[in-house]
Amino acid sequence: MNVQPDLEFIRQLKTAGGDTLKKCFQCATCSVACPLSTDKKPFPRKEMIWASWGLKDKLVTDPDVFLCHQCGDCTEKCPRGAKPGETLGAIRAYAYQQFAWPQGLAKLTTSAKNLPVLIGLPAVVILIMWLFSALIGVSGLHIPNHEQFAEHGYQHFFGSWNFYWYGKNIAFIALIMGVSALIAIISSWMGVTRMWKAMAADAKINATYRPSVFQFISRFLWPSIWETLQHKRFKECKTNSDRVSGHLPLVLAFIGLFLATCWSLIKNDILGLIWPSLHGPLWFWDPIKLIANVAAIAMLYGIWVLWQNRRKMEAEGRASNTFYDWFLIWEVAAVGITGLLAELLRWGGMPGLGYVVYYVHLISVMMLFLYMPYTKFAHIVYRTLAMCFERYRNSSFVQ
Amino acid sequence: MADEHGATGAVLVVGGGISGLTAALEAAEVGNDVFLIEKGPSLGGRVAQMNKYFPKLCPPSCGLEINFRRIRDNRRIRTYTMATVQAVTGAPGNYEVTLSVAPRYVNSNCTACGDCTAACPDEMVNEFNFGLDKAKAIYLPHPMAYPRRYVINKEKLSAAGASAISSACKYGAIDLEMKPETLTVKVTSIVWATGWTPYDAHKMDNLKFGQSPAIVTNMMMERLASPSGPTDGKILRPGDNKPITSIGFVQCAGSRDENHLEYCSHICCMATFKQMSYVREQYPDAEIYVFYIDLRTPGKYEKFRAERMADPKAKFIKGKVADVILEVDGGVTLVAENAVTMEKISQRVDMAVLATGMQPRAALEPMSVAVRQDANGFLLSEADKGYYAAGCAKKAADVVTCAQSSTAAALKALQVSRR
Repeated sequence: MNVQPDLEFIRQLKTAGGDTLKKCFQCATCSVACPLSTDKKPFPRKEMIWASWGLKDKLVTDPDVFLCHQCGDCTEKCPRGAKPGETLGAIRAYAYQQFAWPQGLAKLTTSAKNLPVLIGLPAVVILIMWLFSALIGVSGLHIPNHEQFAEHGYQHFFGSWNFYWYGKNIAFIALIMGVSALIAIISSWMGVTRMWKAMAADAKINATYRPSVFQFISRFLWPSIWETLQHKRFKECKTNSDRVSGHLPLVLAFIGLFLATCWSLIKNDILGLIWPSLHGPLWFWDPIKLIANVAAIAMLYGIWVLWQNRRKMEAEGRASNTFYDWFLIWEVAAVGITGLLAELLRWGGMPGLGYVVYYVHLISVMMLFLYMPYTKFAHIVYRTLAMCFERYRNSSFVQ
Repeated sequence: MADEHGATGAVLVVGGGISGLTAALEAAEVGNDVFLIEKGPSLGGRVAQMNKYFPKLCPPSCGLEINFRRIRDNRRIRTYTMATVQAVTGAPGNYEVTLSVAPRYVNSNCTACGDCTAACPDEMVNEFNFGLDKAKAIYLPHPMAYPRRYVINKEKLSAAGASAISSACKYGAIDLEMKPETLTVKVTSIVWATGWTPYDAHKMDNLKFGQSPAIVTNMMMERLASPSGPTDGKILRPGDNKPITSIGFVQCAGSRDENHLEYCSHICCMATFKQMSYVREQYPDAEIYVFYIDLRTPGKYEKFRAERMADPKAKFIKGKVADVILEVDGGVTLVAENAVTMEKISQRVDMAVLATGMQPRAALEPMSVAVRQDANGFLLSEADKGYYAAGCAKKAADVVTCAQSSTAAALKALQVSRR
């Protein structure tokens, strides 16, 4: 038989933290050490041998790969330093790439060598938009003076100086972020539907009845999200239990900032049409602004904990230093730091520097949106769907 | 060298276990003088603690008895028990070794009658039986002890105990004023046969050793099955002395594990198969479970393995035990993933045996003389210094392999004396 090893698969695993895979000698300690591993379908021992054998099709359709929370309990107990937790992380990175669309964009996110492009792409897009905003309406391209800056903050970044054009700024923001988010949503949707079908086929599910959208949400999706918010599985981890203290504030921060953004949109760009005085940055003691500021600090604190944790794990040889893991940490840190700094500069009345920082902030936010389905951030959709699938597999629809 | 020492330049053998005994005898029977020193109070080493050897399943008393007899009859061997090397000076072919002999507190008048032990009120943990029972502060190291002489653990002996044993001894053999001695020997080369220690099972926190008497090590199992052991050879669960209906063997307990001993200890698979026959002999219906990563029974040992695996009441599970749950009834539950069926199993057993590995003694106790070691503490031979490692000090091995490596070390040591 002519064996054709899939070198690309091995190469991708190696670059994403699976470089220790081949040390595994299948003692199965990991499957017992893992607090999430079940009696009927234990992991990650089977994933380790599938990966060794190059059975990539089995891996990307295996819900257990995504259910792993990479807490490191298995890696801690591994007698060979094969780091199963890291390897599963690498398998997930590979799976995100397999499910990704468009492939070219996804490929870009796999290597630090592409960082200039990864940062340059949103930087150029936003810069062009900024320059382009000068061509439409009045008072486009500008750096505001102190009074303007104090009154409007960054709300006229893309230029909007009178009643007829005040929708322009939000139109530009929506154009940039909306399109980025739309690409991410379409890509995620395509990915998770492919994953779901493949998982169902792999689990030989031949269901007579399909759950309705409402049933899917109420019985599978919402319980999974609620479980995630409580960090139930995360808290089962023993070795790196302090990751919860980083991840939980981060999750809550994202929710808080999402709510604040929604409110800002409604207030400025919908209610503001009726009551123009609603325009302008929120008052410091505004409840929504308080939530936003607390969330910003929670975000910075959370990412600082995760950053330290990751560095510590790497220093102790419990994790590999990979671009895959660090890119998300950098992205979130960049969003948090530039966001808070832009606000501080607004309070400090420094329009020139403020606009530069705000520009970087927009770049980092766009990166977070655009690259979500291909980077470690993708766990937000793939793990959630895997948790749904686990519930579905054990539900009356299947059994 | 031959000018100074004749053709019979002396060899120092450090360690009086099966390897040291073999090396000493091989060298002496060629015609060289041999100093055989042992740190403990008796020769025999780990082998003396065994119930049976594999694969022939004969008691080690037979091998030890022959060797002790050969030593007794060979005038070229001088043995020192309770002796350690203090310093080595000089050069290969012309070493001067300072030995320190710890006081035994029992002199050569001792006839090993045992009256002292009967009279002694002071008890201590019996290290020879791995703490499974108590021993008196004056004791015979083991039933086959050589020299056949009692020894006192003075730290455990009370004043009342001292007077009780002194008056019980009819031969005036008790000498509590005995002092440590130092002596110097001239040798041409040194064989290091410093042996091994069972890896400390407490270190595997997930295996819960020490938290339930139902969890024992394979060396404790040897003592439990030995007629001279704490239960007179009856395999009973320590703690409540319950006869067992099931038993689980946990292979690679601390071996092949970079967090513990990174190497394979080589003997634990065979030791477990051997101990399966102890169990089967006493309990024809007991269920036996063996949890393993790989079964390593090379060469002729394959037959031994096949016979044990044919046991209809023995189950072999390919998966390392990674968690142990203590049960209220005194038993334990062993948790592992069976890599063949891909299911996690929790097997309740009356008793669990941890197949712990061999750690070279030199890894635990600093050597008074610099001898090269590998990363795990195993000794390396240094031909230029006339140092030769033998037995389990050199690598984890069974008795047969130890005898071979000791014979080889003896030959090398003799070559130095005739250079």
